[in-house]
Amino acid sequence: MTIDNSMKAKFSVQLWVLIKRLLFRVVRRPYTELPTIIISAFFLFVYVGQLDRVFGGGLSIPIDFSNGNFVNFILPFSIVSASISGASAGISLVEDIESGVFRRYQAMPISRWAIILAPMVVGAVRVLAQSGLILVLGILIGASAVTGILGYFAVLGIAFMWGMGFAGYSVAAGVRTGSAQGAQAATFLFFPALFIAPTFVPREALSGWLATAAKFNPTTYVIEAMRAIMIDGWIAQPIINGLTAAGLFAAITLSFAVISAKKATEKN
Amino acid sequence: MLAVKAQNLSKTYKTKQESIEAVKDVSFNVKQGEIFGILGPNGAGKSSVILMLTTLLKPTGGVAEILGLSVIGNESLVREKIGVALQETGIDENLTGKELLHSTSRLWGLDKQHSEKRSNDLLRLVGLLKDSNRRVKTYSGGMKRRLDLALSLVHEPKVLFLDEPTTGLDPGSRRVLWDEITRLKNSGVAIILTTQYLDEADELADRIAIIHEGRVVKEGTPNELKASIGGDVVTFTFSNKDLAKKAIELTPNAEMFENELRVTVPNGPQFIPEAFVRLRNAQIDVAAVSASKPTLDDVFLSVTGSTLSEVDDKT
Repeated sequence: MTIDNSMKAKFSVQLWVLIKRLLFRVVRRPYTELPTIIISAFFLFVYVGQLDRVFGGGLSIPIDFSNGNFVNFILPFSIVSASISGASAGISLVEDIESGVFRRYQAMPISRWAIILAPMVVGAVRVLAQSGLILVLGILIGASAVTGILGYFAVLGIAFMWGMGFAGYSVAAGVRTGSAQGAQAATFLFFPALFIAPTFVPREALSGWLATAAKFNPTTYVIEAMRAIMIDGWIAQPIINGLTAAGLFAAITLSFAVISAKKATEKN
Repeated sequence: MLAVKAQNLSKTYKTKQESIEAVKDVSFNVKQGEIFGILGPNGAGKSSVILMLTTLLKPTGGVAEILGLSVIGNESLVREKIGVALQETGIDENLTGKELLHSTSRLWGLDKQHSEKRSNDLLRLVGLLKDSNRRVKTYSGGMKRRLDLALSLVHEPKVLFLDEPTTGLDPGSRRVLWDEITRLKNSGVAIILTTQYLDEADELADRIAIIHEGRVVKEGTPNELKASIGGDVVTFTFSNKDLAKKAIELTPNAEMFENELRVTVPNGPQFIPEAFVRLRNAQIDVAAVSASKPTLDDVFLSVTGSTLSEVDDKT
């Protein structure tokens, strides 16, 4: 049998083969997807149930910051929570490092970038799938974006960028620590960030240290951008802020991931 | 052209507190169509040697070449020429054997059709064709090793690195792998093999290097190594340790293992009756005595001061 002299697959083929392998893994272990989906859906239902009448104009108390649709207000928070599934990128990479699969690829003439990029792409697919699912759930219980279908896509787009940021962060953490716990740390960092933000009320309603902390939390701007799209329409400022926050976060963590991965593949 | 050339290969790991010389001036050559065995206990440095030769670890000194290509600066070219089945290289167990071989073939640049054919050929070769649609998770240890071998052969490498290929396998599975390794050697592939089984090295390897504390302490064909000890290995067995302790004082150069004494002498049949008389005069009863030609274990003992199994027990 003869093999092409170059003995190398094209970059696109390498990437696709590696992505396919990771997708197989996701499909064969669907239960690993459940925690983020369940917790995000839980947030959605519980907070709507608890706060809908208070903040959605349902009680005689005159508070309403969602134009009568509190699901619209809380849904972005839930979607942001679902986009944490991007952190699976690092966890799946670490799994490959621990099992030696990473080493096997290193011993082959495969692009280092393909090895690092594949779990990130799969992480992104999971972000889209999970935030998409939460979005559909939200619509089923009454969410409705004033910006229409295009608005939903915009919300998913922001969630995707945000999720890629977590993918980058978890890959960097995973590669640096070489342990699943290191990659998992990305998840834990995320949860306080979700709540040090205008989670249940608009930012004007926050007070004291939390108001200050929320100002420096990029999650704030991501949630606000999605809320603007859902409730108020195409308003430039919050959307630009949200895109900048998500974009910067993704750019920083992805560079961090690339530098860490480069170090890891070249170490010794 | 030499398949593998290592010359004064060295690796020093530096930490803040100390620097550890894991490999010191290791030199050896491997020709095409030759099986070269590397023996040594865990921590002797054989893993570092293999990782350096397979481009996975950067040497801190010396030369390492695969088919004339230095492993430094030619990583990608070297990786195209070598097949690697190391302890450190894992398998994604969520996939089936066939999927793994197919994706590996694709990564080596074969198109879909050729990948399909190559996968089937290799699965047949290692006897996994009928299990090829099961997930690797469900495979036995022997099946995983056979799959590992198949994965390392996809691109028909000229140089193959096998790290303890039969560790933990039953005798039947070992035999299957041995036959396959011999067939590869006969087809011209150079094979670098590490093993903790001396009988495996004896059976398969054309030449052997014993690595101890980062250095090659002995190198040659199995027969040369055994002959280098010279003579016969005589083993006396006593009914208890105390007797063995007394006996060792009367038997120069002997080593004690539990209730046994082992001594290498130029001429066993001549030595045994003399030793018997000495022991009987000291009223030490010998339970059993045997003389045999040296094994690789005896060679290992003579150059490292302990048997391979003993050292492994400690680590």
